[in-house]
Amino acid sequence: MGLIFRLAWRNLWRQPKRTWLTIGAMLFSNVLLIFMMSLQFGMYGLMIENTLKAFTGHMQVQAEGYVDDQKMRQVVPDVRALASTLREELNSENVAARARGFVLASSEERSYGIAVLGVEPAFEPVVSSVPGLVKQGRYLDSYDAAEIVVGAVLARNLKVGLGDEITLLCSGLDGSFAATVVNVVGIFDSGIAELDRSIAEIPLGHFQDVFYMEGAGHEIVINAPDVEQAPALEARVQGLLPAGKDLVVQDWNRLQPGLKQAIQADMSSSFFTYGILVVLVSFSVLNTQLMSVLERTREFGITMALGLKPQRLGWLVMLETCLMGSIGVVLGALLGALLTSYFSSNGLVLPGMEEMAAQFNLPVRMYPRITLLSLLAGPLVVFSFSLLAAIYPAVRLRWLQPVQAMRAA
Amino acid sequence: MRTFRILFMLAWRNLWRNHRRTLIMLAAIGVGIWAMIFMTALTQGMVNEMIKDGISALPGEVQVHNPAYLDDPNINNLIATPDSELEKKFTGAGLVQWATRIKVPAVITSERESRGVTLLGIDPQRELGMTFIDLDNIDGRFLEDAADNAVVIGRKLATTLETEVGKRIVLMSQDPDNEIADRGFRVVGLFGASQESFEETYVFAGKETLQKLLKIGDHVTEVVVSGGDYRNVEPVFEKVSALVDEDLQVSRWTDLDSYLGTMLKVMDGFVLVWVIVIFLALSFGLVNTLVMAVFERVREIGLMLALGMRPSSILGQIVIESMLLLFLGMFIGNVLAWLTIIPLQGGIDISIVAEGMEMMGASSVLVPQLRLQDVILANCVVLVLGFLASLSPAWRASRYEPIEAITKAN
Amino acid sequence: MTIAVKCIELCKTYRQGDTDIKALDHLSIDVETGGFVCLSSPSGGGKTTLLNAIGGLDKPDSGEVWVSGQRIDQLGKAALADLRLREIGFVFQAYNLIPVLSARENVEFVMQVQGVSTDERRQKSQAILEEVGLKGLEDRRPAQMSGGQQQRVAVARAVVSRPALVLADEPTANLDSKTSDALMDLFSELNERHQTTFIIATHDRRVMAHVPRLIKMLDGRIVDDIAQTPV
Repeated sequence: MGLIFRLAWRNLWRQPKRTWLTIGAMLFSNVLLIFMMSLQFGMYGLMIENTLKAFTGHMQVQAEGYVDDQKMRQVVPDVRALASTLREELNSENVAARARGFVLASSEERSYGIAVLGVEPAFEPVVSSVPGLVKQGRYLDSYDAAEIVVGAVLARNLKVGLGDEITLLCSGLDGSFAATVVNVVGIFDSGIAELDRSIAEIPLGHFQDVFYMEGAGHEIVINAPDVEQAPALEARVQGLLPAGKDLVVQDWNRLQPGLKQAIQADMSSSFFTYGILVVLVSFSVLNTQLMSVLERTREFGITMALGLKPQRLGWLVMLETCLMGSIGVVLGALLGALLTSYFSSNGLVLPGMEEMAAQFNLPVRMYPRITLLSLLAGPLVVFSFSLLAAIYPAVRLRWLQPVQAMRAA
Repeated sequence: MRTFRILFMLAWRNLWRNHRRTLIMLAAIGVGIWAMIFMTALTQGMVNEMIKDGISALPGEVQVHNPAYLDDPNINNLIATPDSELEKKFTGAGLVQWATRIKVPAVITSERESRGVTLLGIDPQRELGMTFIDLDNIDGRFLEDAADNAVVIGRKLATTLETEVGKRIVLMSQDPDNEIADRGFRVVGLFGASQESFEETYVFAGKETLQKLLKIGDHVTEVVVSGGDYRNVEPVFEKVSALVDEDLQVSRWTDLDSYLGTMLKVMDGFVLVWVIVIFLALSFGLVNTLVMAVFERVREIGLMLALGMRPSSILGQIVIESMLLLFLGMFIGNVLAWLTIIPLQGGIDISIVAEGMEMMGASSVLVPQLRLQDVILANCVVLVLGFLASLSPAWRASRYEPIEAITKAN
Repeated sequence: MTIAVKCIELCKTYRQGDTDIKALDHLSIDVETGGFVCLSSPSGGGKTTLLNAIGGLDKPDSGEVWVSGQRIDQLGKAALADLRLREIGFVFQAYNLIPVLSARENVEFVMQVQGVSTDERRQKSQAILEEVGLKGLEDRRPAQMSGGQQQRVAVARAVVSRPALVLADEPTANLDSKTSDALMDLFSELNERHQTTFIIATHDRRVMAHVPRLIKMLDGRIVDDIAQTPV
């Protein structure tokens, strides 16, 4: 084995330029793959976290069908009690009840149609990033005060400031006309224009009074420690729901169907790109190994005449490819990790990022995230395809006739 | 010229001396070029759809507003010029299509539900062909004229509100004095749109009906103008700018929807980056092939030099060989791309990820768009960079000392 | 009598490992136009170096080389290439032909680079190929011909454009004796008919016996310059 190994290694360096060019092709793809995948994973992670953290959460308990139409009467009855039961059972603060309605919000000068959330001021800050984004005034602190927190753009459009009054007009749960006057106590600025323009929060108790909810709400937001643990938690929550009330747990993918699909669409187009890169590298390897076999025909003929089996020579070619590929993987992983970690500490700004970022709830500066997967997946695929590409040249050796081969120039 | 002929002949024959290597390289270049063009066409197709959808929602590539309106889309920020005067100005100005509209936020309420919507007061005759609504795909009917006092809403909104054609809904907005202006309307039509969010957001009513409801007399909030070609808005923009009073704001669609505007700009850059990345992946194989070709032929090159061929001709010979390889590969790649894109002109159904595409602002049918300029770009980049990449091995070959080269043992 | 090649006090030293080898040591030589000269020496005696210096393929360390009345040892690469193209024909020991070209195309190669018209090329190449006895083999590639046939093609190429001077370095090294004799007969025939100057470097005795002037070299110097009657 030692001898074959040494032979393979030396053969590799008989044409150093060719070997380096082939390794170069591998390196190029490996570094690119590592960087792109780290960037993608980082981006997807942020997209999910940012979008879910704002309101959606990892899962929600809702009435069946609410997720599609968000109708007022698709309620979770006695929502506070259920939320508090879930908190106890799950032993987690990461549970908050909400109600949701659409109203015409009028200030002295302006009127806009907006969505109003009734929230539990004590628990909302645990499940949502919005309370933490209050830039002026304070967040809600009482369970049934006539107070409101509005988005920055909405505040501007309504021309209201802290202490101003807003009238909310709507129809209640029973379809009757409902109205209330609330005080602006806080203004949040999430940087996500859609949220800042169209969302306001009032205490859940007040919401229930105004909309004649009789203790009901629309959703209970529940967060797992991270997205990966959500499915397990979801199963537990499912078991804790009272029977016979048509309540369901909706996971984040159901709540934000666009999110996962946007990621899938992006992934499939990226994988097309990666596939092409890998194929091109494979061609490079195929070419190199075929050349190297062809120019050694005579030499192979001699070794075969000396009694070496063609299979052994085939393995030699595979071993050479393997060595070349290993150098590609190791150097590629090193360079890729270096490049990526530079950008993961310094961030990366691309032209057009600002607008894209706003569309997908992303910060303007991107930070790629190196994981074992993003570091090794690309290089290992390139490695495997290189080996695949070397099969043809290796197998060709089987048809080699020693005498003819020796005569070859 | 005579020298070129012999160089060309030598290059061509040398190319086929090692036909396996050449075929592999051709396959690689072909796949590379195919990927460049195919992927670009898909991306351009997506962007095209996004922009078309985006503009149809605006609609119009150029719009005129009160300068305060864009930041504060309120009934108070009307266009000061009366609607009838705008009509006079725009008629006969040689514009392809234009319409004046009222666009204000409102709340729509059925017996069951309420939602915040964008209320559009339009003159249906003027909007034909400009809106995202497919007029052949309407349940019930569309508005008949500007004085029509019914509304047309999206299918999705109708489902949410649990309403249907023939039922009544209430629209609430405000008049300039911030008095609540509300009125019952009969729903006469439901429209479908390529994106669900359009169906949820927009409610159409007659322009004159809204003028009365909102107590704004003969005024509108916007003029929308379409020139037919969203990639070339400047002429329309200039024409409209000259037409309206100076205190009005004229905007291009790229100003109105910066996400789409940026997408369009970024896309050309993206195409270039993509083409270059693929080329770089190819270039290793290309340079490798040339280096090998030169290496195998050291003695011949020495011989040709000894016989009196100038070094520049040797350089030319290798470069021609490389260019031949590239041209053939490009031919294969272009044909492949054409063959794969043409059958897809009907569109690729990607409705599996429809909601994700909607998040990006694209619809769920992807029609690859083969643009001549992208094809030219891909081919030119490959040629130019391929030429540059072949210079180094070719230069080396031309620098051989004839005597050393001839006597070099293989 | 005009002088085709004149070398004055040529010196050339190579380093091989850690010893200096004097390939040319103050060597002077004149070859008259139409001369038929053989350079002979044991290997390493300097004959190839001299031939390369005359052909402009190698530069001497000092001294002068004149070909057809032009001093060439100071010319640049491109000028030397032109000189070789127009004034000198070469026959090497092996690898004389361009593998991707047929016999005819190899013969026409130099003319084609010179810019000779197609008709003239075709006519001349046909004539010379017949003269060297390769009629009927015009379209063979080098790989389809024997060593002797390949050398004939090389000779045909060397003389076809009527150069003032033909330089041949061990032209018979890879040939059997019969083929060698035939090749040498061809050389003398061409020399007589076209008044072309031939300088042949060799250590093959049969070749030496074939020429009217035999120059023997040793360690970079001329040790003997014999006028003889060719066999």
